[in-house]
Amino acid sequence: MSNTAKPLAGAGKKVRLRGHLTQYLSFSAIVLLLLGLSLTQQNFLGKMNMSNLFRDTAPLMIMAAGMTSVLLLGSIDLSTGAMCSVSNVLFVRFLSEVGVNMPIGLATLSAFALSLGFGVVAGFLMGYVHVKLKVPSFIASLGFMSVWQSAALLISERSSPVPKAVWGAIDWYKVSFGVVGLPLIIALVLVVLVFVFQARTTIGKNIYAIGGNERAARIAGVPVDSTKITVFVLNGFCAALGGIFLAAKLRSGAPTIGDAFTLMVIASCVLGGTALSGGRGSVLGTIIGVFTVALINNGMNFIGVSAYWQNVVFGLFVLGAIAISVDRSVRDLAIK
Amino acid sequence: MTTERKPFFSARDITKSFSGTQALKGVDLEVYPGEIVGLVGENGAGKSTLLKIIIGAQPPTSGQMTLHGQSYQPQTPMDANANGIGMVFQEQSLIVNLNVAQNIFFGHEKEFREHGFINWGKMNKAAAEVLAHIDVTDINPRKKVADLNFATRQMIEIAKVMNVTNAQQGKNCLILLDEPTSILNEGEVQNLFKQMRRIAAQGHAVVFVSHRLDEVLEITDRIYVYKDGTSVGTLNTAEATEAKLYEMMVGRPTTTEYYHLNQQTKPEEQVELEVRDLGLHGVFKHVNFKLHKGEVLGMCGVIGSGKEEICAVLSGDELPTSGQVFLRGREVRFNSPKEALEQGVLMIPKERLYEGVVMMLSVEDNIAMSNNKQIAKGMLCSPKAVARQADHWIDRLRIKTSGRKELLMQLSGGNQQKVVFSRALASNVDVLILNHPTRGVDVGAKEEIYLLIREMVSQGKSVLLLGDTLDECIGLSNRILVMKDGEMTGEFDASVEAKPSQVDVVSLMM
Amino acid sequence: MDHRVDRSAVTIADEFAEKIRQSNRKDRIIRTAPLIVLAVLIVFFSLTAGRGFASASNLQAILNQLAIPLIVAFGLTFVILIGSIDLSINGTVGMAGSVFACMVLNSEYPGLNMGLWGALLAILASVVAGFLVGIIYVKLRIPSFMVSFAFLYICRGIGMLSYQGHPPTIRDPLFLSLAKASFLGIPFITWVAIILFGVCYFIQEYTAFGRHIYAVGTNESIPRSVGVNVGRVKVMVFTLGGLLFGIAGVVGAIRLGQGQVGIGEGLMFPAQAAVVVGGTSLAGGKGGVLNTVVGVLIMTVLSNGLVLLSVNPYIRTGIEGVIILVAVALTIQRSRQAISK
Repeated sequence: MSNTAKPLAGAGKKVRLRGHLTQYLSFSAIVLLLLGLSLTQQNFLGKMNMSNLFRDTAPLMIMAAGMTSVLLLGSIDLSTGAMCSVSNVLFVRFLSEVGVNMPIGLATLSAFALSLGFGVVAGFLMGYVHVKLKVPSFIASLGFMSVWQSAALLISERSSPVPKAVWGAIDWYKVSFGVVGLPLIIALVLVVLVFVFQARTTIGKNIYAIGGNERAARIAGVPVDSTKITVFVLNGFCAALGGIFLAAKLRSGAPTIGDAFTLMVIASCVLGGTALSGGRGSVLGTIIGVFTVALINNGMNFIGVSAYWQNVVFGLFVLGAIAISVDRSVRDLAIK
Repeated sequence: MTTERKPFFSARDITKSFSGTQALKGVDLEVYPGEIVGLVGENGAGKSTLLKIIIGAQPPTSGQMTLHGQSYQPQTPMDANANGIGMVFQEQSLIVNLNVAQNIFFGHEKEFREHGFINWGKMNKAAAEVLAHIDVTDINPRKKVADLNFATRQMIEIAKVMNVTNAQQGKNCLILLDEPTSILNEGEVQNLFKQMRRIAAQGHAVVFVSHRLDEVLEITDRIYVYKDGTSVGTLNTAEATEAKLYEMMVGRPTTTEYYHLNQQTKPEEQVELEVRDLGLHGVFKHVNFKLHKGEVLGMCGVIGSGKEEICAVLSGDELPTSGQVFLRGREVRFNSPKEALEQGVLMIPKERLYEGVVMMLSVEDNIAMSNNKQIAKGMLCSPKAVARQADHWIDRLRIKTSGRKELLMQLSGGNQQKVVFSRALASNVDVLILNHPTRGVDVGAKEEIYLLIREMVSQGKSVLLLGDTLDECIGLSNRILVMKDGEMTGEFDASVEAKPSQVDVVSLMM
Repeated sequence: MDHRVDRSAVTIADEFAEKIRQSNRKDRIIRTAPLIVLAVLIVFFSLTAGRGFASASNLQAILNQLAIPLIVAFGLTFVILIGSIDLSINGTVGMAGSVFACMVLNSEYPGLNMGLWGALLAILASVVAGFLVGIIYVKLRIPSFMVSFAFLYICRGIGMLSYQGHPPTIRDPLFLSLAKASFLGIPFITWVAIILFGVCYFIQEYTAFGRHIYAVGTNESIPRSVGVNVGRVKVMVFTLGGLLFGIAGVVGAIRLGQGQVGIGEGLMFPAQAAVVVGGTSLAGGKGGVLNTVVGVLIMTVLSNGLVLLSVNPYIRTGIEGVIILVAVALTIQRSRQAISK
């Protein structure tokens, strides 16, 4: 037995516990909310509300899936909502102006390609500026948020509907199996794919290593730069996909639609056990976080809580979630 | 010097332990008024630790200190300052965007407050006085520190410390200087000495820590020699010579069994790594050497000699500003450790905590980090391969862990280091750069690592070694390079029959 | 046997000193760059926007437009000087403006007529918000961007709650007259900004607190080792920010004649860009309110000029985003081993 002291013997358990604690709390919150709301509100558990609830979560879940990896790195992307907006209006405007003159299948594919392509490029730009130009991710993403908000408004000044002629491109959103809609299924499939990516690929392992200790990862030969850029590209893709889903859901595009999502996405990830400091969490936990957030939103709307209170409640919730998940023994939080 | 004087400061039997390691094992220090005392010793001998204890930045584990005949137990550096003890740390402690006067009086602005705001004019005047006190009249107190060169900044640090002591009104003060000359040129060093003599002449005392023995011999009145956390002895400078100091500083028997010298093999002819005129602006220059297959090449030097940065460059962590690196005859330029790893060069870093392991990942994931090729087909990892790899190394290196899924933060230092070694060995690179591989590792694990190094090398790997101690470096290496102040000062053959003495090597380090 | 190797003429110490000199030169360029940029912008717009730009009335307009962004940017400057960030600006300003309008003589709450006290209470609310952000950041160790981001929503929500969809129109004659008042040709609101500049400059340069802010932003351990309460400095900085944002909100409501959270919209970004472009480093410890004045001038002149050139308004925010990216990318200290998250 060595004579050097065994450091932090219980610390490993504490780290795991804290991640799980957030998840348990979220889960309990879900249960409590469901109970409370169903008991006090009629029709809360009714088919219509439930299917709305489940359909509501799809865009959020897709975007949160992308953001989870970003947070795992220890970075952040505040431009997610803005990227979503651009993709949203791009999709609608393309369909309205170009898609109407094409066979519907081609129109759909092209619209998808355009929006998703934008997401990939936007994500790549963000990754490049952060990684190669060494601009801290939150300021870089703030900068890009502005740029994309501008772009969205330039593409489409106000909310515009998807013309009936091209509804074939968005009808898939309506498909449902009982209470569970196709969008949610797609979202869950995406989450599973992201999970496989995080847990079973070399890049995924690199992400955790970088988030856990970037310096050590770099010295050990982990390809830090390319991993980070890949993560931001994926986040851009997910944000864009979320924008498409929103277009399909609302059958219209709006240039500011994504703005509110950024905070909700971050909240979902944090409530799902992913720490802001990186290295801890998993996209599976994000599922729980997403449902918690969606339930809160749905519940507040159902009760008729004014939009004003919703803002306040949300902010408080995010703070609370982060406060619980913050690992206070981590002394150097590079994001100050 | 006169005979019957009393020391105004004394430290007796000071020990200091940090979770498992003992930095100080019981040292003494006595300082008389008006003298300049030198403190010398190798890296890790305990000099800086003692100074930090005296200045109150850290508490001693045991021991007593007395100042002016009374017990002295500072809780913070401010306590020390209040008692007339000031220190110029090795790392600059000035706030570069404030001006000279503001730095000198930082934290004491209240003294210049009038009607709620600070009278800068008064502070500037006071700063000029403090500077004049140490005979510095050509620094404008209103200049921003960022605009001043290092020698001037050093003077301001001393002025800052002197300001602390000025408040003592007549009592003897103690000024501690930790490696103040590392970034100064000849002329600036002489100027610093002039100031030190002036301070001493006023009745205060200076403790001067430096690895440059020639300087220590020039400026001090007495010298303390520390080794391995103990004070080996004191001599009057008049009776000291470099040779004598070297003897006192090292003098450790190199046991053959400890480093398994019987297993030291001869390197092959093939040159794995060659370095020509390598330089990193402002850090090191004109570095030339060859690393052969199957060889352990040791690099010796004090902190700041440049050996660490050479490792950083060779491992891809830093790009050199001049010179070339050749890997098996082909010129290479590593933009990142990832590129170095791909070409077969990997470093085991010095700071295990910050640069070596990922605390919140498991043993198996830490081992897998450098080894994507071994555990994955294309992009997809095989959990079985990861598990197999981890189990193999846990067994091979006898890592004490409850299993491969255990988080790194729960292992002891020695076992964490073994995990880092496992990762490096699993990568099967040809050139390994070992940066203080046995730092913070217990004796048993150390020996295992030595055997490991011998084995690696006998299988044809090449090792560039920065030893934790001089002893270790000499014992393990086939050849030794010595660095001092950024340049190579010497090269020694260290084959089993012809190991250089520690004194010889140290004489080129300092 | 002599194992020594020949030493060279130029020592490492000299090289190191040279490296420092080079870095100082770069710093000096960065320090003068904002003024050059401002000059270039003024010349450019004078040439392209013709008489519209350099006219007296446009100068008046610029002075007007400067006021609120300046006040907000001053608050943000102190936060950035300690190396943190405050994203709650839009919410805090909007909240202060809304609450203020509700409490003075207005169209929605006829019973309330608190006059000056209304203004003070509204500002107090912002001060409390700032204080909370600071405390949560320091005590709970949540990164400042996250705390302030959450408070953006909380404060905006409180603001919206105060008028519940019916923004109160100010009826108090005192404030209505202030909106149009001017002294020496400069409107009241701009005077507020000028006075606040004086106050902030004073705090920055003539108080120990101001010096401590620089120290904390440069390297926390240094002031800590001298006994400065670093946590207290940080909390006070955020509180000061809250104060300034509150004043901006009240002033904004006065100018608008109405209280609504829209007063705060679109403020944070130009302020952010202004501070960075003016030369205050995001890492902390460098820059100051004087730099910010230049930065705000640049952003205001830019915005003003773009309007005169009839550039699509939506492009403007995009341009601000690009400016921030470029400014930060150019000025950030980029050591190879530094980690930026």
